[in-house]
Amino acid sequence: MLNANLFPYLLGLATFLFTVGAAGVLIRRNPIVVFMCIELMLNAANVALVAYGRFLNSQEGQIFAFMVIVVAAAEVVVGLALITQIFRLGRELDVDDLSEMKE
Amino acid sequence: MTVLFAVVIALAAVSSLGVVFSRQTIYSALSLVVTVSMLAVLFLLLNAQFLFAVQLIVYAGAVMVLFVFIVALLSPDAEDRPALDLRAVIGGVVVVVVTALVFIAARNGITYNTGGFHATAVGAANDPYHTFSFPPDTVNAAGNVQTVAGQLFTNYLLPFEITSMLLLVAAIGAVYLTRRSSS
Repeated sequence: MLNANLFPYLLGLATFLFTVGAAGVLIRRNPIVVFMCIELMLNAANVALVAYGRFLNSQEGQIFAFMVIVVAAAEVVVGLALITQIFRLGRELDVDDLSEMKE
Repeated sequence: MTVLFAVVIALAAVSSLGVVFSRQTIYSALSLVVTVSMLAVLFLLLNAQFLFAVQLIVYAGAVMVLFVFIVALLSPDAEDRPALDLRAVIGGVVVVVVTALVFIAARNGITYNTGGFHATAVGAANDPYHTFSFPPDTVNAAGNVQTVAGQLFTNYLLPFEITSMLLLVAAIGAVYLTRRSSS
């Protein structure tokens, strides 16, 4: 039987991972690291979903976390394809430089 | 059990900091490998055996190999930045404050029953939903993989099929994006 006092720590871990990922997205300039930070945020959501599902004695949390993993895999595939294209165009890998859409 | 939880949570938190604060991209990738592996162990401790396997295969296997491959292929330079600039300080403060707020809220106020969430006053220990008395693991009596699959292929069949379409579209998009332009 799981100790119920663990639940706040699990939510705290999920929040910590999400905020660290969000801070990383805002601070880092390398697009590969930015994608890793997005993965951190998605994993944080998974932790919260699985923890709630466990403590509510439900399977839905695990199913939604499964869907999140699928979305994360698809996102990584497209994102890394974009990064390789940026590199192939001879651009420096820096998200602050990639601002043509703004102008 | 509690010690194992503490070790896994601490390692996941520390290695997630390594993702953000490593100057070399490859160290960020390896820190993320540690993080997703620790979260896989956490899923196993939380009785989510199926997600444990999926997390290891998809994240620690496929996704992180893809990341390391891209890092090795592109070999980006290390970022040079001041050791303690204003953005990092603000980010750190936000991380600490938000995490502390959610932890305190989960510990004191927010509780739940099967009908939904109920925010109760701090210290409402006589609230029957505040005692966190959970029934035995009847949900997992048939085995986690079997029960998850039963839900996934009955109630959530349509979303499951849509995820397969999503993966197909992502694969087509990646092939389209990385093709050599023959114009």
